[in-house]
Amino acid sequence: MDTPLPPAPPDDPLTTFFWEAARRHELHIQRCQSCGTYIHMPRPICRNCQSFDLAGEQVSGRATLYSWTQTYKPFHPYFVERVPYVIATVTLVEQPGLQFMCNLIGIDQANVDAEARMGMDLEVTFQDLGDGYVVPQFKPVGVVL
Amino acid sequence: MSVQRQGRKVAIVGVGYSDVGRNTGLSERHHAAQAAVRALEDAGLQAKDIDGASTWGGDAVDFGWMIGFDDLRWSLNVGVAPAFITPAYHAAQAVAMGHADTVMAFRIMMQQPPSAALASGAAMLGEPSMADAQFRWPYGNFSPVQWAGLLMNRYMHETGATEEHFARFAEVQRSYAQRNPDALLRDPLSAEDYLAKPYVTKPLRVLDCDYPCDSGSAVIFTTEERARDLRQPMVLVEASALSAIRDMNFELLPDMVRTSPKHCGDLLWSRTDLRPENVSTAHLYDGFSIITLQWLEGLGLCEPGGAAQFVMDGETRLGGKVPTNTDGGAINVGRRHGANFCIEAVRQLRGQCGDRQVAGADVSVWANAVGMFSGAMLLTKG
Repeated sequence: MDTPLPPAPPDDPLTTFFWEAARRHELHIQRCQSCGTYIHMPRPICRNCQSFDLAGEQVSGRATLYSWTQTYKPFHPYFVERVPYVIATVTLVEQPGLQFMCNLIGIDQANVDAEARMGMDLEVTFQDLGDGYVVPQFKPVGVVL
Repeated sequence: MSVQRQGRKVAIVGVGYSDVGRNTGLSERHHAAQAAVRALEDAGLQAKDIDGASTWGGDAVDFGWMIGFDDLRWSLNVGVAPAFITPAYHAAQAVAMGHADTVMAFRIMMQQPPSAALASGAAMLGEPSMADAQFRWPYGNFSPVQWAGLLMNRYMHETGATEEHFARFAEVQRSYAQRNPDALLRDPLSAEDYLAKPYVTKPLRVLDCDYPCDSGSAVIFTTEERARDLRQPMVLVEASALSAIRDMNFELLPDMVRTSPKHCGDLLWSRTDLRPENVSTAHLYDGFSIITLQWLEGLGLCEPGGAAQFVMDGETRLGGKVPTNTDGGAINVGRRHGANFCIEAVRQLRGQCGDRQVAGADVSVWANAVGMFSGAMLLTKG
């Protein structure tokens, strides 16, 4: 396939930990080293205690499905032959309201209403888009891709 | 403590649109100039009477010099914000506080590249920075329509609203548009027609989206005292509010059903003695149809979680409890990014809405945006 990949992550010191962990098939989320609050997306300050002492930490990779939408219209060349696909917001189990945006994979796209149930248990998996560009994704617990 | 009551009482005295349409070939400046001249004519004012300007789209100082305003005593260029309410809110505040006497607020918005051009790589994605987009783009999340799909689906899950409710919403809005000569989409539309359209991003269809176009809108704010000498029936700013409850990532809202409009509605009602039941007409942002439903609930115009049924029961139609989006909404009048709600509210209070006029309208609310940020303004007949 000659289609270009989605735009690659920028050279961003604040988020390097996330993409490096993904290449190792680990999900890391920024956490305040002072008060323990998880923060996503990464920021230079903790919004709970205003500490600047923040670092990426591995999380369990467990989550529940908060909402989803199945996109039929491509907005980028990479996705022209990949529609429809499901965009999801999931809540990571580590902290109430710790939302993470991803694709919901490992479900039948033709039967999404039945298979994507709000609140269902999910687990992280990793998708290699090519050229070392690895992204964390979520799938129903136990589904083998 | 009322924000508006801290200063001079403010009136809206002139409103105007440019030649709004699809790919008009006119520049941003041309749209601003047309809208400004029509708002001045509507008010019975001269360009030299304007001493303040605000805009989202283009540059207020550039517009002021080009059109021939007086030396500006106050100006503001708005960046990403809750649509037209932001330049409008601050224009009203500038008049209330005496920083200027007569302020024109603009929203100029040019048609965005079509998704087909984006998908082929022929057009640029309109996001300047990858700082947060790096967590969206790899997942194929490029367009606001996709967060709207997430909000809509969660709303349906929590409230029991169905696609049939959204179909009725589309039908009601189009029935208003058929009575509005300014609307771009005026053909008959049934609930079945809506349901026959394909999904853009399930459960959201194309008729849940505002209609892309080039538009220029202008609204003139001045003091109540000065408004008495002008051409139009008096319309007063009773109260207004802006709200922001998290950063710009709609996808990460931990509660997609009760978002900024709820906070904004509470602020608005804390600044007036009027109550939701006093509202004659409502003009509630419909960049996506789910947004109007959130506003109906956030402003207390219907029960929490009850907006879809409220629409299904005909309560937003002419003759219903709260006639809503009587111009047809941006889904039909085109993307004027919130300004159409202000302008239609003003026209309802003046009694200038022809076939779609709500008899005796004396209190109108208009509101913009959703999710992390929003704004609302309550207007009364003077």
